[in-house]
Amino acid sequence: MSATGERRGTIQSVDRAARILKALGSGSSRLGVTEVADRLGLAKGTVYGLLRTLEAQELVEQDPESGKYRLGPAMLQLGNAFLDNHELRGRSLLWADSLASRVGEAVRVGVLHGPNVLIVHHVFRPDNSVQILEVGASIPWHACALGKAIVAYLGEDERAALVRHDLAPLTGRTVVDPERLHLALTTVVHDGLALEDQEAIVGEAEIAAAVFDHRGYPAGAVGVVGPVERLVPEGKTSAALSAAVRETARGLSRDMGAGRVAARG
Amino acid sequence: MVHLVSDSPSTTHAALDGTTVRRWIRESADVFSSQRDYLTQLDAAIGDADHGINMDRGFSAAVVDLDAVDGSAPGELLTRVGSTLVYRVGGAAGPLFGGCFRQVGSALGTAETFDAEDLLKALRAGLDAIQGLGAAVEGDKTIVDAFVPALQAFERDLRAGRDVGHAAHRAAEAAKEGSRETIPLQARKGRASYLGPRSVGHQDPGATSTALLFATLAKAVDEQP
Repeated sequence: MSATGERRGTIQSVDRAARILKALGSGSSRLGVTEVADRLGLAKGTVYGLLRTLEAQELVEQDPESGKYRLGPAMLQLGNAFLDNHELRGRSLLWADSLASRVGEAVRVGVLHGPNVLIVHHVFRPDNSVQILEVGASIPWHACALGKAIVAYLGEDERAALVRHDLAPLTGRTVVDPERLHLALTTVVHDGLALEDQEAIVGEAEIAAAVFDHRGYPAGAVGVVGPVERLVPEGKTSAALSAAVRETARGLSRDMGAGRVAARG
Repeated sequence: MVHLVSDSPSTTHAALDGTTVRRWIRESADVFSSQRDYLTQLDAAIGDADHGINMDRGFSAAVVDLDAVDGSAPGELLTRVGSTLVYRVGGAAGPLFGGCFRQVGSALGTAETFDAEDLLKALRAGLDAIQGLGAAVEGDKTIVDAFVPALQAFERDLRAGRDVGHAAHRAAEAAKEGSRETIPLQARKGRASYLGPRSVGHQDPGATSTALLFATLAKAVDEQP
């Protein structure tokens, strides 16, 4: 968003406050009034007033030692409220748990957000290893199985807009060529399953299937993610793993109100 | 920084051989053991919180493996190390560092000794392996941000007529500097890139490990009898 990006019909001060929150949400550093003002191209007095207002709502807080500002505790409540109100996430909790224990790998549920997949639920690989929660992570759709599973079932226009010519590779194996991507998406529809082999992270693979809502529209996807040597040994995924992912997606689709036809795969 | 390194040209420097390689890997195992928690802590901020544990496990295994074989051809030893790392490190670091060592080994071939130019060429092949797998370029907040400046410094120093020990130290410094310069970058590759702007402000663990490997290389070359 540009510093002068106010759109017609929006309220300038709300826009500025939102931009302050986003600035404080990027990077790990706390920001002083001057830094925020410089970053957003606003007067210090304006920024100070906005920060004080946000502070009164606990959306930001001031570090007592440095006097700098950071995001406040109310942001966590808002973030959690977003997740709690997310229908697919809510309905996926039990399904994802049982898929993770069935296959012994990590499970992620994601929805399409612009050109990225937003992870709304993540169940750790059930092996007691240290893992970091990826809820809130944003992954380019073309580099993950979740994204391919969703985009394959979008309408033609939406899909064409996402299969752009300037997609960035995340690894040496990321497919960015539009022709090849279209072909991959056709395969997804044919198999009812999307596969990603080290296209997002070297050494990692993902197998995912789309979840449909009552309109038969892809509401998101559920997938198993883990080390490539376990998920795709010798370049092929096991029938048991594929079946587990397909069945989970089908069950979840039914819970989302998808009819028999829509709950494809 | 003061170096206890002579300025003699590389021709008078003792040849690098299998002993150098064994020393490099043993030094690396020691360093990854002592830096394990630090690396894991860096990784917890932007990755999977297992980088230090993985590198420690991989290099310990590499030392055990090397100790069990008699071979002395440096290229063959490094290829073994690469295979051990691929198999034992896991995550993204396994294929990346493992693939790198394999290529370095394969570039050194079957000769019993190697010189500074061989090393430069081999390290370049290692970097190529990493970039082939990861598609990362400088500024993506990865291993490459330490590796590229290290190679540049190494080559520059050699071209200036310094010996391999001196050049290796310059490379180690440049790699460390490069790893520190990843802090303000936003990750464009790897799990850290999922965080978007939140990856800013953290040092990349892969670049940090790369800097450690160049530091141990300098030490191994320096202790050459």
